Amino acid sequence: MLLDFDKLGALKPFLVGLTAIVCLFLVLPIIFIAALSFGSSQWLIFPPPGWTLRWYHELFADPRWLYSALTSLKIAAIVTVLSVVIGFLAALGLNRGNFLGREALRALFLTPMILPVVVLAVALYALFLRLGLAGTTIAFVIAHLVIALPFSIISIGNALEGFDKSIEDAAILCGANPWEARLRITVPAISHGIFGAAVFSFLASWDEVVLAIFMASPTLQTLPVKIWATLRQDLTPVIAAASTLLIAFTIVLMLIAALFHRRRKK
Amino acid sequence: MTDAFLSIRGIRKAYGAVTAVKNVSMDIAEGEFMTFLGPSGSGKSTTLYILAGFQDPTEGDILIRGKSLLSTPAHKRNIGMVFQRYTLFPHLTVGENVAFPLRIRRRPKSEIIERVRAALKLVRLEGLEDRKPANMSGGQQQRVALARALVYNPPVLLMDEPLSALDKKLREEIQFEIRRIHQETGVTILYVTHDQEEALRLSDRIAVFSQGEIDQIGTGKELYANPATLFVAGFIGDSNFIDAEVIAVDGANAKLALPGGVQVAGVPVHGTARPGAKTSLMLRPERIDIELGTRPGHLSGTVADITFLGNNIHLVVAHERAKPISVRLPFGHSALDGLTSGTKVTLHFNPESAHGFVDASTSGNG
Repeated sequence: MLLDFDKLGALKPFLVGLTAIVCLFLVLPIIFIAALSFGSSQWLIFPPPGWTLRWYHELFADPRWLYSALTSLKIAAIVTVLSVVIGFLAALGLNRGNFLGREALRALFLTPMILPVVVLAVALYALFLRLGLAGTTIAFVIAHLVIALPFSIISIGNALEGFDKSIEDAAILCGANPWEARLRITVPAISHGIFGAAVFSFLASWDEVVLAIFMASPTLQTLPVKIWATLRQDLTPVIAAASTLLIAFTIVLMLIAALFHRRRKK
Repeated sequence: MTDAFLSIRGIRKAYGAVTAVKNVSMDIAEGEFMTFLGPSGSGKSTTLYILAGFQDPTEGDILIRGKSLLSTPAHKRNIGMVFQRYTLFPHLTVGENVAFPLRIRRRPKSEIIERVRAALKLVRLEGLEDRKPANMSGGQQQRVALARALVYNPPVLLMDEPLSALDKKLREEIQFEIRRIHQETGVTILYVTHDQEEALRLSDRIAVFSQGEIDQIGTGKELYANPATLFVAGFIGDSNFIDAEVIAVDGANAKLALPGGVQVAGVPVHGTARPGAKTSLMLRPERIDIELGTRPGHLSGTVADITFLGNNIHLVVAHERAKPISVRLPFGHSALDGLTSGTKVTLHFNPESAHGFVDASTSGNG
């Protein structure tokens, strides 16, 4: 290898140190939040003067927290399904299609990734207001779908890129009609891409806060919105507890994804 | 031939301004092994893909037992195909791969098990039902692909350079297997390759493709002995091409002037020969005999290289006014004694075994 770590010499300790600092910078806030959620201080003092599970009790005692978590889960689940289905169809079209403006369309699909989320949120809010959809689950799902789709299209598109279309053609000659061939052969063969698309789509919706604040109503709040709203009222360690659970859930999801990826490689 | 089993009639395929297949017609008998031979871009694969149903021809028709195939979508054509690349379904086992066409056809389970076993036996992979394609060699994968393409008894099997990804030894082994399977099953096979040796080894007949057209269809022997065009002559077997000029025409034969003032009469010519037309004289290396020393009025040259190839000896004879000429002599040929690089030799050949190919651009205006 050109950049062999063992040959870096004097740069080695410097690079190790830099990497350690970056890792700490990324991991420490998570550890702090987790620590604070178990801390006995009501004012989020660090290091915590004592340890308690009180904030978790309060969190689970308040049905609004649970309800917002379920709302998050429901919206993220619908977004995931729609994102994977639409993402698969879009990726198939972009990968196989041979039409004018294909590259422009591909770029268009990915614009939500570079568009500032606030701009998107304001625009979508104005649109839903006009359509009378503001504050509904449908609006929520559409908004999150917009930002989740690019992940699906990239993930499934990459998997399709690495999938030899001759395999699908072989299935067709074996007697499968084109959609049968795609669903029974292509989809399982690119399952890693579809799984990746599902995980990223879920996470894109699950911990999204900016669009959610615009799409939320007093009766329709996702977990991040609930955290945000509570944060503005009072600074209670319950938020730290909710955040910790949110992070834990996300980590579990990522671990499952990693395990899946590893098994596939074997 | 209206009652041909498979009839390709005037197929043309154009992509915008580019014509991939110009005018391909042929009749194939039931059980025949027909090979489409040609360089890449000659239209052979496109013709095969039109047969498979993945592309529609711009013009022409394809008939199986007199019925047009073109209105039938690919998945209902009941045609088997083995592809150039490995196309086993990666998430299914070998057994499931071979069973796939039968499952799609909703055959009863007991029948599926039995036929999968028979198909794997045919390709000599008995007992490997539970393997995953990723754990098999390329040769094994292509055998499974062959079993999968044959398990539903298709009337026609298409093979698109199925061995091109394999190494030479394995390729020859599987060629032999394909030949055996063809004989055992009697399936009609259309086989695409750019490898002339493979085509000669496998086929009943070969269609030589060049630039979207068929130059010649015939058995390997016919193509080798009587190539219809310069392209076929160059593509099948080794050949020498010597620049010549037509002096006189006598029916299908001509008298040619070779470099160095040598004249040869009675050479069969292809194309419209007129006196003065530029012609390529084709000579197979093994049809040339040599004699030590030069002889006026005969083609002669200097031995530039001698290679011992076991049962035959390959000579390169340099000629001052023509490209070097390859000569292949049997081991033990009398002229080989005392032959070294630099020896002057005379080349003899029977004019009837040579072929003249008239350069079309010079035949019209003399």
